[in-house]
Amino acid sequence: MMMRRFSKVKFWALAGTAAIALSFAAPTAQAGKADDTLNIAWDVEVPNVNMYFDTSRNGVIIAHHVWDALVWRDPASGDFKPLLSTGWKIVDDKTIEMDIRQGVKFHNGDAMTADDVVYTYNYLARADNGILNRNYTSWIDKAEKIGDSKVRITAKDTNPLILLYMGEIGIYPQKYYEEVGAEGMGRKPVGTGPYKITEVDPGKRIVFEAFADYYDSPKGKPSIKKIVQRTIPEMNTQVVELASGRLDWIWRVAQDQADRLDKTGRVKVINANTMRVGYLQLNAAGGPEDSPLRKQKVRQAINHAIDVEGIVKNLVRGSSEVIHAACYPEQFGCTDDVTKYEYNPEKAKKLLAEAGYPTGFTTVMYAYRDRSHNEAIMSNLAAVGIKTELRYGQYAATRDALRKGDVPIGSLTWGSNSIPDVDAILPVFFGGLPDDLSKDKEVQAWLVEGKSTLDQDKRKAVYKKALQKIADQAYWVPTWTYTTNYAISNDLDFKPTADEIPRFWTAKWK
Amino acid sequence: MAAITVPVAEDIIGPTPGQRLRKRILGHRGVMIGSVILGIIILMAVLAPLIAPYDPYEQTLTNRLVPPVWADAGSWTHPLGTDGLGRDYLSRLMYGAQISLFIGFATALISGVIGTIMGVAAGYFGGRVDLVVTFLITCRLSMPVILVSLAVVALVGSSLTVVVTVLGVLLWDRYAVVMRSATMQVRSLDYVAAASAAGCSTWRILVSEILPNVMNPLIVVATLEVAHAVLLEAALSFLGLGVQPPLPSWGLMISEGKDYLLFDAWLITIPGICLFALLLAINLLGDGVRDVTAPENRS
Amino acid sequence: MLIYTLKRLVVALLVALTISLISFGLLFLSGDPATTIAGESADEAAIMAIRAQYGFDRPLYEQYFAWVLRAMQGDFGTSFYFNMPVTELIFERLPVTLGLGLAAITFAIILSIPLGVLAARYPNSLIDRLALTISVMGQAMPSFWFALLLIMVFSFMYPLLPPSGSETWVHFIMPTIVLGYYATPAIMRLTRTGMMEVLGADYIRTARAKGLRPRVVLFKHALRNAIIPVVSLAAVQLGFMLGGSIVVETIFALHGTGYLAWESIRRYDLPTVQAILLIFSLIYIVLTFLADLLNAWLDPRIRVA
Repeated sequence: MMMRRFSKVKFWALAGTAAIALSFAAPTAQAGKADDTLNIAWDVEVPNVNMYFDTSRNGVIIAHHVWDALVWRDPASGDFKPLLSTGWKIVDDKTIEMDIRQGVKFHNGDAMTADDVVYTYNYLARADNGILNRNYTSWIDKAEKIGDSKVRITAKDTNPLILLYMGEIGIYPQKYYEEVGAEGMGRKPVGTGPYKITEVDPGKRIVFEAFADYYDSPKGKPSIKKIVQRTIPEMNTQVVELASGRLDWIWRVAQDQADRLDKTGRVKVINANTMRVGYLQLNAAGGPEDSPLRKQKVRQAINHAIDVEGIVKNLVRGSSEVIHAACYPEQFGCTDDVTKYEYNPEKAKKLLAEAGYPTGFTTVMYAYRDRSHNEAIMSNLAAVGIKTELRYGQYAATRDALRKGDVPIGSLTWGSNSIPDVDAILPVFFGGLPDDLSKDKEVQAWLVEGKSTLDQDKRKAVYKKALQKIADQAYWVPTWTYTTNYAISNDLDFKPTADEIPRFWTAKWK
Repeated sequence: MAAITVPVAEDIIGPTPGQRLRKRILGHRGVMIGSVILGIIILMAVLAPLIAPYDPYEQTLTNRLVPPVWADAGSWTHPLGTDGLGRDYLSRLMYGAQISLFIGFATALISGVIGTIMGVAAGYFGGRVDLVVTFLITCRLSMPVILVSLAVVALVGSSLTVVVTVLGVLLWDRYAVVMRSATMQVRSLDYVAAASAAGCSTWRILVSEILPNVMNPLIVVATLEVAHAVLLEAALSFLGLGVQPPLPSWGLMISEGKDYLLFDAWLITIPGICLFALLLAINLLGDGVRDVTAPENRS
Repeated sequence: MLIYTLKRLVVALLVALTISLISFGLLFLSGDPATTIAGESADEAAIMAIRAQYGFDRPLYEQYFAWVLRAMQGDFGTSFYFNMPVTELIFERLPVTLGLGLAAITFAIILSIPLGVLAARYPNSLIDRLALTISVMGQAMPSFWFALLLIMVFSFMYPLLPPSGSETWVHFIMPTIVLGYYATPAIMRLTRTGMMEVLGADYIRTARAKGLRPRVVLFKHALRNAIIPVVSLAAVQLGFMLGGSIVVETIFALHGTGYLAWESIRRYDLPTVQAILLIFSLIYIVLTFLADLLNAWLDPRIRVA
């Protein structure tokens, strides 16, 4: 049965017979390798499986399984390969022509055509579509059909990242989507991807099944027949379920727990890099007139006060690395060759005194994950006289407050939507968008420049200038790269990629 | 002839009420156990700055998760080990007692003032006042405390002050209920009528005739409410919406120890046992005070 | 009886109305709800549009009445997070919470009434002491701590019980114990006190004097009268369990209303929070109302009051 719809009769029937029904239900058989079902757990509820209406990481993961895009970036080589296309031609700075693959079927049996591609791109280009994922769709100007299997896609401006973005844009079935709308797509999704969704219990459970008619795609055919996703908020519960074989795959296991879990031998633990970087965002241009964070020396003092290296070495661990620039080291345009602030509490105190705060000051720090890491940072700050009150909340709420200018210090992380280019991080925080707290006109101009040319050397040079100024001004305290601990069943053959997108269609049973 | 025994003075007069009360207290096992445990915890909290071996906030990241002394790898350097940030667990526990007790007492005080005023007013004046107060009590009881406090704390932002205020404003119901019926009982007694007939002002009757005579149930409720507040704060902290780090409230220590539940269980069991002991002590004391001060209710 | 019922009904309705006011008021603790809804990268125009769409630009009392009117028809608006009707969301999950609550109260009653009766029958005996110990310990054990300890022991060290999910009754064992034990002390104490009072009453002595068997006296005559206040207490405790379900459901990954409440609070999904607060309160109001009626029916003296 698909999504259970609300009916009063059903509710009362359920409520009334709950106790009786429960006492007669037989325990279900152990899942896993035996019945070719991969049981996975996430800790947050998926708000909507319609990929354009969920900006969360889980939404990205679902999208990659259910909706194929025109192009595909091979995570191993980083090369772009045709997926729902057979090839493309870059006409000019803003125009690209795609040859659409023939013989591809949607999960509901309809054939995927050039019309579906045109429809999807034009739908995303519309201002009133209500979609949430604008970061990789806002560049689209329009799409036109120029042949039976040929589509021309036009960008609004020159954009060096079009292929990357196109790799994220899943193609929707025109006929079905016009029929059921955005809401229907969230209840019974239809795509062309390796897995189709057969059951959605909002927030609670999603069942994926390997798509039998999946075309001969470069992504490869899915091996495991069924994936059942459950939401389990409590990490201890997840670990216990994994250890007892009722789950086969979990991730984001805390480092300490991962170490101990690994030693038990009951499961396998894999530590993998991600493109996620941590940072403290300092409200350099906003907040009250007399906010200490408006002073460059105070911001530099904060940089000197935090023992990032010590925290990474002793607390964060895994394969996390210390970073000094406001980007992920492997991203195009990123460089570590910027001003570095070594851990030096004395120097920090001196800088604070020079800025007019010889005894430090009290401020507020917002954070949304890894409470212990933030406590370590707070303790470092307290040692030089900066007392922080912690506001620990959900990401959305934290980011909301930040955009309103209410966050003096925000301890956040950014995964760049797994896009290996600094354009996925710098413009968001320094390009004049709502998250830009430094509001540095010069940096903003450089970032525009970096995006408006396809000349990669020029781009590199201009991004270096921007990163250098960001470091000099100490708008951020870049901290470390994040790694993720996957804990998986010993029966499972799963290889994580560095972009925080688990690809279950490549997973196999041993 | 039977000898006539001359009764001595003590036999006629017997022990004074005070002596009798003292005897009942000393003879009541619950009160004794409760007071001893609570006494130790209060002492620990008050003396924390003097006896805590380390600064509870000082982190040494190179010395994380040292096991307690009874474990194989433990030592007396850190009798209860260190937490995930290398802070001495015993010191944090001692300072944590301060925070947890403060929350308990401050909340019980705020809610006590609100509840007592409402209860006494309702019980003494009766009529419309009683109707309104009863209605407010009913409304308050209809709302799940934990849900309302979670929502308010989440929306306003969590800090020690917010938590204490929110809980204080929410937990007055038991005071009001008990004070209301106690006041009603006292009001109908002769001496109140006498005071009233003698022309004493309402205020004076309330303060000098009613209040002293409802003190016993008030103390009982207050004791139980301290426990209630400590428990709720712990639940809020556990859900991440209570006291914020680095303050070491016991609830927060349990919440932080949660990440180590499966493999370093002492981090969650130690503050858990402390919290359990504190709540147990307060409850024993509250129950005991009820038994001791209201002998007619003893069964 | 009819007048009493009507009186209680009016009070219940007034209480419900007051709670609705408080639930509604939550929305305005958070500052501007429109910015929260607009979320990521929304500009001023989008926020204005949302203000108009949700009616945040209208006077407060108008918004309140609109909300209450819609709520009465079972429409609590749209969840900010799931973008689907709140009513649908809640009723999807209410059976889990109600099932858990019923199981927990049953567990509490099964454990506490016999203990309470025996404790009253044999005061100061071993069983009385045991009852007292259980009741004092129960009050002092934080439920989340208890829950985690249970998981650690019965799912991890000795994998006997599943720590999450709601598929079968086995999944409900640990949550039921955790949620139920907290209600045990109160019910047991009340049973014990009630029984003690009743056992001392004249009619019991008469029954005994008539030579009725002790068990008949104990259960047929005494318990039936002592149970009256326990009924209302059980109703009240069931109401409290709705609040307690927040912690329990989160730890055991039971997707009920309590867990939904907590998640909704954390993600500022106010329509859902408002609706859950109101529904939980309504359930409590209905429960106590029914308990009152039941009491009045069992004990005619109450009706006059």
